[in-house]
Amino acid sequence: MSERVVVVGGGIAGVSTIAALRSGGFDGDLTLVDAGDFPYDRPPLSKDYLAGKTEIKDIALQPPQWYSDQQVRLITGSTVCALRTDSGAVQLGDGSALPADRVVLATGGRAARPPIPGADNQRVHVLRTAADADRLRTALTPGARLLIVGAGLIGAEVASTAQGLGCEVVLADPVSPPLAMAFGRDIATWLHRLHETCGVTTVCGAVEAFHGSGDTISAKLSGEEDSRSFDAVVMAVGMTADTGLAESAGLCVDRGIAVDTRQVTINPAVLAVGDAARIYVNGVLTQRSEHWEAGQHDGQRAAATILGAPAPAETASWFWTDRHGVHVEVVGALDRVDELVTRGALGEPPFSMFGLRDGRIVGAVSVDDSAAVRAARRMIDRQIVIDGFELGDPETDLRKLLRS
Amino acid sequence: MNGKTMSDGIRVAALDDVPEGEGIAIDRAVTGTDDDIALLRDDDGMVWALNNTCTHAEASLAEGWVEDGYVECPLHASKFCLKTGAVQGMPATRDAIAHRVEVLDGEVYLFPGQRP
Repeated sequence: MSERVVVVGGGIAGVSTIAALRSGGFDGDLTLVDAGDFPYDRPPLSKDYLAGKTEIKDIALQPPQWYSDQQVRLITGSTVCALRTDSGAVQLGDGSALPADRVVLATGGRAARPPIPGADNQRVHVLRTAADADRLRTALTPGARLLIVGAGLIGAEVASTAQGLGCEVVLADPVSPPLAMAFGRDIATWLHRLHETCGVTTVCGAVEAFHGSGDTISAKLSGEEDSRSFDAVVMAVGMTADTGLAESAGLCVDRGIAVDTRQVTINPAVLAVGDAARIYVNGVLTQRSEHWEAGQHDGQRAAATILGAPAPAETASWFWTDRHGVHVEVVGALDRVDELVTRGALGEPPFSMFGLRDGRIVGAVSVDDSAAVRAARRMIDRQIVIDGFELGDPETDLRKLLRS
Repeated sequence: MNGKTMSDGIRVAALDDVPEGEGIAIDRAVTGTDDDIALLRDDDGMVWALNNTCTHAEASLAEGWVEDGYVECPLHASKFCLKTGAVQGMPATRDAIAHRVEVLDGEVYLFPGQRP
């Protein structure tokens, strides 16, 4: 009998699982259950979609026809409320049962809502779903005073989009500069200053309390005497993994569903991928990267596990982000390097920065110079020994350096 | 070229203008097509041609990373087969359009609208 797989959650990790199963030759029954209307891609939610430049149909992860072409049963507007893997089924919210020999949990997460007094005010937004973006967009009218709490990737992207829509944006974060771990201190500092250059007000501080009063909401920021008034607030302070289903199924959960390096939970019939999952590596539960490609790779690994195929080759982590018209990419990690090499002039795009340890690249950041990061990724994966001087010379052809 | 005619092809570049592993964009004013066309040279030296704009977002495939039969989009890293334009990975979901290219005496001829 062929196997029946149910994937729970239609984000990038869930849809990638399905795509990789079919492209890997899986010929069993395949069902995707998603709570939304139709599986869509999240990165545009803080950029073009929030700006109203694209519609929901433009950001579908796959077109409707794809699901029938791939012989995938797509159940939308529905949730899985219980795993009954011992009897080979999952139970849907409407009480019906779906046969399942294996279940892949791709349940993602929710935007975090820290317990700040007054944060339950309806003028306080979060951004995780298309519905969140739709609601936020109505608040981003020209001249609207917007407070964004948290200057991480989502906060910075929303600041850029809102500023572009003509809002008066204040971006608050207690860390200075934000994202130094991700970009390295120099580029993080430059990117944060770019907000000010482009008309966004940055504040180093946390929000202590909100107070709603009629048409406005006031925010008391740490270190400031007076509250500031806003028309809307966005809390951009990270996510909380959606682990309820896993917990009720008795799986091991610690701010994420614990899985091994093949994405398998403590129940061999249940796998978990994407933002909901955390991977044990050498006995240590690693931090989630919460990036798009990491979700895609989780799905590909899960599919390989189900297929009994070798795991896909490991590659350095990679993500992109866009703000104020610059495209930034990061590969690997820059937090533990013994040499930093700048290619081009810092602050004058295109430029990039490479982090080296023991003569090898371990991370790189590019601003409007994605070829540098694409080269660096291959140098990391192939563990090539690199001459820092050559690397930093913009005249050096990185493709040739990679081949040499 | 063994009987193939270059008469309906457009000479768009010298082969040396396109470094291995890279691409150049040929303006639509030259190609007469709706989109610019990317000439992409694989690391084995072969030249291929695809519509230049990524099918996912506003990005120039001519600025992408060309390797092992594929071009990787410079924005979000979707890959397209150089020979057929077939998309290999999300976020793009639609294939790129491929055009026929011939190289004769170190000159690159493009045949817009013809399949490779």
